[in-house]
Amino acid sequence: MLLFRDEEHVARYGQNRGVSMTTEQAWRLADAWYRDRADPGWRRKTAAEAEAVFASIGLTGDFWRLG
Amino acid sequence: MTELDFTTSVRLQVIETARDTGRVPDAAEVAKLLGRPDAEVIDAFHRLADAHVYVLEPSDPHRIRMANPFSAVPTPFAVDANGRNYFGNCVWDALGILSLLGGDGRVETHCPDCREPLRLEVRGGRLTPSTGVVHFGVAARHWWDDIVHT
Repeated sequence: MLLFRDEEHVARYGQNRGVSMTTEQAWRLADAWYRDRADPGWRRKTAAEAEAVFASIGLTGDFWRLG
Repeated sequence: MTELDFTTSVRLQVIETARDTGRVPDAAEVAKLLGRPDAEVIDAFHRLADAHVYVLEPSDPHRIRMANPFSAVPTPFAVDANGRNYFGNCVWDALGILSLLGGDGRVETHCPDCREPLRLEVRGGRLTPSTGVVHFGVAARHWWDDIVHT
């Protein structure tokens, strides 16, 4: 997962496949994914739980499906 | 202590050492800190790798390559937080380090295309206004097919 200057640079780099998101979405994804990582009771999310996190920040569709 | 409890102890010790030093510890260091044999820690490393929590160095199971979100090796995703420096495995993980450490700090990277330096800053748990787009080239279900290159 890379940070590009803008979509034009994504295309120029040859990343014509995949999905882009805003930096705000990336922060929200990172925060939801890692905020509790140092909790003793942390466990890896199930596919359904992970998809729910993606959906909560607007990441939906086949690209984000795990199951 | 059960195997599960010990694996959790190892996982938490790795995070604590990474957080406090900016360095992902190896098995010998974790074993010393926990007062247990190296072999038990290496077994826990393998359990965590099997569970897709760690990626170990292929040629040396004593060493972790990725203890998500921390990278044990330098990457283009440098993190500055709490007066220390860290490396994330990707921009998602670099932001994840900021979250894990309390939500204040900076990610310094560059556009892979034009090499322009890019910075993301988080203050008080909020991303400050920033430019750039984050691109995922691999669909979620294939991330762990080759996680190092995802």
